[in-house]
Amino acid sequence: MANLRDIRRRIKSVKNTSQITRAMQLVAASKMKRAQDAALAGRPYAQLLARIMGPVADGVFDFTHPFMEERTVKTRGIILVSTDKGLCGGLNGNLFRELPAKDESIKYITIGRKASQYVSRSGRDLIADFTVSDSTTFPEVKTVIEFAIKAFSEGTIDTLEVLYSAFINTLKQEPRLFPLLPISGIDVVLKSLGLENEEPDDRELNFEPSVETILSELLPLFVRREFFSMVKGAKASEHSARMVAMKSATDNANNLVDSLTLDYNKARQAAITQEILEIAAATASNS
Amino acid sequence: MSIQLDIVTPEKKVYSETVDSVVLPTTSGDVGILPGHIPLITQIKAGELAISKDGALDLLAVDIGFAEVIGDTVSVLTEAAIDIEDIDLAAAEEAQKRAEQALKDAEGQDIDPDELQALEAKVRFAMVQQLAKKKGK
Repeated sequence: MANLRDIRRRIKSVKNTSQITRAMQLVAASKMKRAQDAALAGRPYAQLLARIMGPVADGVFDFTHPFMEERTVKTRGIILVSTDKGLCGGLNGNLFRELPAKDESIKYITIGRKASQYVSRSGRDLIADFTVSDSTTFPEVKTVIEFAIKAFSEGTIDTLEVLYSAFINTLKQEPRLFPLLPISGIDVVLKSLGLENEEPDDRELNFEPSVETILSELLPLFVRREFFSMVKGAKASEHSARMVAMKSATDNANNLVDSLTLDYNKARQAAITQEILEIAAATASNS
Repeated sequence: MSIQLDIVTPEKKVYSETVDSVVLPTTSGDVGILPGHIPLITQIKAGELAISKDGALDLLAVDIGFAEVIGDTVSVLTEAAIDIEDIDLAAAEEAQKRAEQALKDAEGQDIDPDELQALEAKVRFAMVQQLAKKKGK
């Protein structure tokens, strides 16, 4: 049986580890709450965008826009949204498994240190590496998407896809590859904003300056919003994955402490029994 | 008679109040909205919304966006309002530089990325254990 002092030291170290993981779990939980609130706070914007988009889309025919132009795909562009830090279970691993096989004709833009490490190490073509803070402000995200849109307009990339961890619920996150550009049609936009089955407003609306101008200016806003909500979802995924991972780490540490304490008590008992035996033997031989 | 003015950005609803009138900075010039305005959807340029409420005049900064006037409700859709933070142009350049650097660093390393990641995780775990031990003493 292991010696008492060793067991005591191990118990102490495991307890310390469990304190650290528990603190991380609590931090992740509060960040997750904030990320979910942020996702809800973005709802009015989506609804208003949908309300404006609906009648505008009804008013145009034969609409063309650079974002809707289907080109022959020579180079795919993928934005990979990962985390900066690890300790979030299999989140990044699952995400990277969804990456298409190494191909010279795919260019990557990454958010998060994990993604840029993985992409560059596996020899894929990385064109830009951004970081987005935990508070996920719109200007931060806009910088990324503006860069990607510029690359798309200049023809550096012919498609723009986003690979991210979609937030299903606290226990479930799912890697998802979403084609952002080109937009295949206005109906896709309306569907994505949750407006496919809504009754059209029959009030006569005036458009200033014109329906076409408004629609062509609306599309970039739509693309930016879509991307912003995906990044926010990825952040919520990160924090909930980390919370779950840290919770199981804490539980494991506590189990370990329990079984070590049992070992410790057994060893202590054994030592006491041993001592009594020795005393008894000594007394017996003396009398 | 009053109108309901809402300003929403992708982050949140930043403004929602009943006001007497509002002047929108549209691309075709400033448009004053009073109660009973005809239904209108218009494009807004970056500028200031002039809001008059109870005789007081308020100015709110908005970025480019759109406004919808229906009934006595004015909804302004914009990507930033009140505290407008410009996007950081230098950030995109830095991102490209970081990408180049990461590719350069990765060159010559002929290791499987998955394996490398597993190794890194092991090292981190060992480090955390060391720290925990030190703290325990």
